[in-house]
Amino acid sequence: MTGKSMTGAGDNNTPYETEDAFLDRSALARQVVKDTINKVLLGAVLILVLALPAVISSPTWLHIIVLIFFYAYLTTSWNMVGGFAGVLPLGHAVFLGIGAYTSTVLSLQYGISPWFGMFVGGILAVVAGMVIGLPTLKMRGAYFALATIAFAEGVRVMVENIEYLGPFKLNGPRGLQIPPLNIGWADFMFSSKVPYYYIILGLLLIILFLTWTVSRSKLGYYLTAGGEEPEAAQALGVNVSRAKVIAMALSCFFTALAGTFYAQFSLFIHPKSTISLDISFEIAFIALIGGRGSIAGPILGALLLRPVSDLSRIYFGDILPGMHLVIYGVVLILVMIYQPRGLQEPLTRIYDRVVNRMADGFIKGGDK
Amino acid sequence: MNLLELNDVTKQFGGLTAVDKLSLSMEKGEILGVIGPNGAGKSTAFNCIAGVFPPTKGEVIFDGQVINGQKPWDLCKKGIARTFQIVKPFASKSVLYNVTVGAFATTSSRGEAEAKAIDVLKLLNFDDKKDAKSSDLTIADRKRLEIARALATEPRLLLLDEVMAGLRPAEVDEMVEIIRFLREQGITILVIEHIMRAIMALSDRIVVIHFGKKIAEGTPEQVASDENVIKAYLGDEYGVS
Repeated sequence: MTGKSMTGAGDNNTPYETEDAFLDRSALARQVVKDTINKVLLGAVLILVLALPAVISSPTWLHIIVLIFFYAYLTTSWNMVGGFAGVLPLGHAVFLGIGAYTSTVLSLQYGISPWFGMFVGGILAVVAGMVIGLPTLKMRGAYFALATIAFAEGVRVMVENIEYLGPFKLNGPRGLQIPPLNIGWADFMFSSKVPYYYIILGLLLIILFLTWTVSRSKLGYYLTAGGEEPEAAQALGVNVSRAKVIAMALSCFFTALAGTFYAQFSLFIHPKSTISLDISFEIAFIALIGGRGSIAGPILGALLLRPVSDLSRIYFGDILPGMHLVIYGVVLILVMIYQPRGLQEPLTRIYDRVVNRMADGFIKGGDK
Repeated sequence: MNLLELNDVTKQFGGLTAVDKLSLSMEKGEILGVIGPNGAGKSTAFNCIAGVFPPTKGEVIFDGQVINGQKPWDLCKKGIARTFQIVKPFASKSVLYNVTVGAFATTSSRGEAEAKAIDVLKLLNFDDKKDAKSSDLTIADRKRLEIARALATEPRLLLLDEVMAGLRPAEVDEMVEIIRFLREQGITILVIEHIMRAIMALSDRIVVIHFGKKIAEGTPEQVASDENVIKAYLGDEYGVS
């Protein structure tokens, strides 16, 4: 900063005031430049992802990218409760399963569009989330995590062992096949991967925007406060349990929407592919490695880990199935040792430095 | 009318009576000091007022209303704020973030809450550290942060639990100034403290608790020369002769 040398020439009676005013103004200008740079970069990324399907024609690659977005979406939903509220849910696949089964059963048996079934699934997932969350969200540490695992596994075993739940056909371990008869937007079914790409991109943008809004709202502050120091938060007027329950409801709802997406994307669901611990753990892995409680963390985590998962399935699938979880484990251990707050922290620091340097460049360029 | 009243408040943990029929009252705008040897039941009484747990027997009356068993977050909205003896900052967040959490008690808009938080920080001459991460603060600043957060909830009654423990003498003096200043703002303050020099200088009245019972009450001078108090602190042999 060149502020000090310039104010030396000013009025001696009020040196501090002028200096402060000068620093304030130049800091403000700098902030404006930085905000602009951030917006331009964000816009560039947005245009890039919107144009991506025009560049990539290989369905395999598009499939991999759709799954990256799918996991980024799932992890961001998970992050609402697992990140901000400071608890560790390890059974989120159950809400994915509820979403997938609800919309699929409704469309197969009653001809209801999955677009509508999606929201029914979301609401059912909220109900299920309350059943598990209300008694357990008050627990700290491992107990909540264990309760969610037990609940998810219980539901999976149940679904695997029943053909009919009341009038609804679940078809046990064989799962449900969705015949691709009515292709088009009305039935959420497409022969190309491009529409799926845009749907999951849209969902991801919605959940990111929601997370950003929540993190800057009273609820977000209350969740963070309650997650870090519940007693102190309560003394400051925070009903910690209520904040956590609201976060859990939001998280369950949006996770279930992804379930419908998954069902329509793969057109075949069974208990192992939807309500499995593998998925629950993968979500938690992505969040922990990327950085829980941050907005960028789940995206970074999914960007880094999903390719590992897909490539290991391609190359080791026959010899070592589940290799990706082993790799995740190793990466997680390393990240927890060297960057306990996730990879987003060093990356954010680097990004900030780059933006600062760019801002300096612009301001200096402007002065000349 | 008294802002706070305790009528025969008793708190038992199993067979242990931590607070035994404690009665006290506080007028608006008063600074009341609560002292007593370690384990006397000060913090337990404090927690009964702050809603951490309900008293076993007796009544806690705030502003004419019985508040037994109400939850801390509800009491906070009624105007009771507290600090913690062992400071509990939201460690990964900035000072401003910490104080804004408190300010959300009276508003739902982030802009308003942040503006109020900055006002409070300015009031405490603390706004130069608003962007510092709270885990990087010195112990004196962490205690100051505890007070700032509590203050942001706009309390009428402020409960301070050993905010001067662990501070250097110069910092203690600074804290005494802050607490006096808060009283000038119209806040009623209950102070639990071990540093006699500070509490003698600060309090309008002092209540002494020993084994859960009130053994003395009065101005600092009265309490300092009270025979029971001297016995409680120094042992039976040290009677005033």
